[in-house]
Amino acid sequence: MEKIAEYFDKKDDVSLGKLLKEVENETPISFDILKHSSMRKGKAHIVGITGPPGSGKSTLVSKICKQLAAKGLQIGVVCIDPTSPFTQGALLGDRIRMQELAKTPNVFIKSLATRGNLGGLAASAADVVQVLDAYEKDVILIETVGVGQVEFDVLGIADTIVLVNVPGLGDTLQTLKAGIMEIADLYVINQADRPGANESVKDLKMMIRESGKVGWQPPILQTVATEEKGVKELIESIHEHKAHLKSTNLWKEKRQERNVARLDTMIQGLLSRKVEEYIKEEDGWQHRIQEVKEGKTDPFTVSHEIVNGLIHKNNSKSGGRYVK
Amino acid sequence: MQIKVVMSKLGLDIHWRGALVVSRMLRDEGMEVVYLGNQFPEQIVDAAIQEGADVIGLSTLGGNHLTLGPKVVQIAREKGVDALIIMGGVIPEDDIPALKEAGIAEVFGPETRIESIADFIRSHVKNTIA
Amino acid sequence: MSNNTTNINQEKKLFDQEVIKEIKAQKERWQENTVKGKVGEGDYYSDSGIPIDLLYTPEDIKDIDYLKDIGFSGQAPYVRGVYPNMYRGRLFTVRQIAGYGTPEDTNERFKFLLKNGATGTSVVLDLPTIRGYDSDDPEGEGHVGAAGVAIDSIEDIEALYDGIPIDEISSNIVTHLPSTTVVIMAMFAAMAEKKGIPLEKLSGTNQNDFLMETAIGSSLEVLPPKASFRLQCDAIEYASQNLPRWNPVSYNGYNLREAGTTAVQEVACAIANAIATSEELIRRGNNIDDFAKRLSFFWNLFNDFFEEIAKCRASRLVWHEVMKDRFNAQHPKSHLMRFHVQTAGITLTKVEPLNNIARSAIQGLAAVLGGAQSLHVDSYDEAYSAPTEESALISIRTQQIIQTETNVVNTVDPLAGSYFVEHLTREMAQRIRDYIAEIESKGGIVSVVESGWLHREISDFAYEMQKNIENGEHKIVGLNYFPSEQSETKVEVFRYPESAERRQKEKLQKLRAKRDQAKVEAAINVLREKCHEDVNLMPYIKEAVLAYATLGEIEEVFREEFGLWQFPLA
Repeated sequence: MEKIAEYFDKKDDVSLGKLLKEVENETPISFDILKHSSMRKGKAHIVGITGPPGSGKSTLVSKICKQLAAKGLQIGVVCIDPTSPFTQGALLGDRIRMQELAKTPNVFIKSLATRGNLGGLAASAADVVQVLDAYEKDVILIETVGVGQVEFDVLGIADTIVLVNVPGLGDTLQTLKAGIMEIADLYVINQADRPGANESVKDLKMMIRESGKVGWQPPILQTVATEEKGVKELIESIHEHKAHLKSTNLWKEKRQERNVARLDTMIQGLLSRKVEEYIKEEDGWQHRIQEVKEGKTDPFTVSHEIVNGLIHKNNSKSGGRYVK
Repeated sequence: MQIKVVMSKLGLDIHWRGALVVSRMLRDEGMEVVYLGNQFPEQIVDAAIQEGADVIGLSTLGGNHLTLGPKVVQIAREKGVDALIIMGGVIPEDDIPALKEAGIAEVFGPETRIESIADFIRSHVKNTIA
Repeated sequence: MSNNTTNINQEKKLFDQEVIKEIKAQKERWQENTVKGKVGEGDYYSDSGIPIDLLYTPEDIKDIDYLKDIGFSGQAPYVRGVYPNMYRGRLFTVRQIAGYGTPEDTNERFKFLLKNGATGTSVVLDLPTIRGYDSDDPEGEGHVGAAGVAIDSIEDIEALYDGIPIDEISSNIVTHLPSTTVVIMAMFAAMAEKKGIPLEKLSGTNQNDFLMETAIGSSLEVLPPKASFRLQCDAIEYASQNLPRWNPVSYNGYNLREAGTTAVQEVACAIANAIATSEELIRRGNNIDDFAKRLSFFWNLFNDFFEEIAKCRASRLVWHEVMKDRFNAQHPKSHLMRFHVQTAGITLTKVEPLNNIARSAIQGLAAVLGGAQSLHVDSYDEAYSAPTEESALISIRTQQIIQTETNVVNTVDPLAGSYFVEHLTREMAQRIRDYIAEIESKGGIVSVVESGWLHREISDFAYEMQKNIENGEHKIVGLNYFPSEQSETKVEVFRYPESAERRQKEKLQKLRAKRDQAKVEAAINVLREKCHEDVNLMPYIKEAVLAYATLGEIEEVFREEFGLWQFPLA
């Protein structure tokens, strides 16, 4: 535990890299790292960048970082790429679009593979962000997978959501209507030098109006990330959103909500792990599961039996105060 | 534990086919591969630190293996990175002893089966750091 | 030629259509009665995925109109070759690449090769030069003079060609990137002028392909595709106006293929690039016939013997169509595609390296049967290092054996009329046209590079190929087919002169000390301004070169003014 504190106090990339490696791999020690880091809550503005593949998210993130870093801010970047469901491997290719950051000293980039998580983030993304926050980063940018489906997970950890798109949305817009439109705080039309940019802006405006959103009105920005056009304005808008959150107390509320949500996720995670272990420990359960498999009994009954069994076992062992 | 590899073209070397094919095939072998494109030793090591890499893979056909390869090892060790460092590309047999002497764990020629690179990695990676 | 009616066309078909019907019927019977159940059933494909039949008959080429579709050498549609008397008139140029160390070192190798029968020079540049850095740039450390010769200033070009009759033999310079081409071409032209050689007398070739920078090779600090494409066009336009015997571009199918494409993609991408170039130069006010005759191509020949020959023939056919039908070029020379061939480096194995002599010879033979204008036969040790003097000599000898001992050069396009080869030629041509159309449907060659589409095509192919090699589907002798039992082959490796980097740096320091710095800066500043105007940069680059500005200084201007581009790869 003291060693962990040391790693946090060192404030260098090597130590941070080591802490994150543990957290990413959910090693035994990561429990202590997260426990420790949650008491060191920082001040980071957490910005989620999401959008369909090919919309230029990585390039945009790269340019945002470049400009923020030039102002002397400490930046953490978390890039997510999909894990292959067949091999469990992943090719994490975001750094290649961020090559110009390689020599920028105050940018720390962590690439994560989804490792089976379907909501657009990696399982460990929230943990990684928490450690970066505790490491006193000023801004943390999270780039979601961007495989096309709606990626809600980022909502749970980001203060500001930027939705990136390219001209000629058409069908994409229709699918996006199904939900993610409402969650974005800023809309970006990237590659805005391509034909159809103005139409896309018009379409977006209409959609925002139709949604009848109250409070913060999401601005629509046009960028050409490859040429760094519109990036300055985008950063200003991100700052404005932060100011809005602070002035309306949403900043604090979002964090409080996140704390509770984290608790919730952890309970669920812990419970399912405990249940898994419990099933393995006690021989009888395999027999019952086999019966469910063969249709001799129903899953409802057996699931209750297993959970109740676990609770009963722990009650008799530890007085029922906590599961760990 | 999932093995994480940082893969880079060394310096100015322009041939990306090999590095990318190896990256894709190591992914097929179940590893997580962070592809850097072209980088110089200092930046390769920085990326390995940030990514928590277990392995640093260097690819070169440009004849810079003897100068830049050992430099990656040297900078990595100075900064306390103990990742396995391996190299691939067209590298003369005679240079391999010097590279190994410098701390490159293994050198793979152009006809290596990717499977055998994966096996080598799996049997040589150190599993914990902190 | 084609003001015929359908009726007359019918008569011009090679075969009587009644006979074709009979052949078809007989073939079906033969297949049913004789072949069925025999070993070898199943599907066969060429390397680029074209289905290959067990046996071809006139039926497979029943639609061919000989005069219109095949014709004679030196005449439309140039399937049979670009010159009437082909190799009887002029043998293909024996070109062997050389380039290492300082310009002085390479100059010695030039002289060795010329003494032994090479009929032109061909030079590769080292990586810092190709990438636009001077020999004393920290980015170039470890690369100076390593995989090619280092060129920093016009003095180096003068040393490189010292004693070489550049007004008599052709000079091939493997410049790769447009940014390097414009500087080296400016140095070459300036050197000739200083020597009193008229520019009209210079013959040779530059590579000059923006795909080399933006799709084929990855690197740091890459110029955006549009900027690189502009420089490519600048060099072509300048040469077409000032160096009438110079080939200012060699559309590089070769390296695309090495990186990972099929033969079809190789040719289609190169032609798509030539189409884009033509459109741009016409936009600038040039006439198609001013420059089209100077465009040349560079193919890679693998081991799929007949497919490669068919590719060479098909590429001439498609190019003729493009120039005639799309651009309405009038000059016959604009219609003919000239190409250089290099045998496929990537097919060479490190195991049992002497087998590579056989591979290269077969590929070289295909090039000659395909009507190549010049040829480089890879040396057997290229999977190890740059060729030694001994292995480079074997490559020259291989070419000489093809030229003189096989007699294949005595008659034009000897495989014409083969049902198989003619069928394959038409099939290749159609697939090349389709792929060009696909590129154009995505906005053209510059767009498919910007979007990363081309990179994905290359990457997917290379990945599939590697998988096929590993699972044994793609057989390579000595590697996965009859794997070599030799544990290690001792090959004498060519060693680059170690002192080259130091010697080159010293020369550069001296140059920087003695030149007129104000003059350099003035020239650089003019160039900087002109980058933002719709003008050809060549004259300004030449001025800078004459003021002894270095290659790295000039290219730094490009990087600063055009900006850098992120390679779209994943």
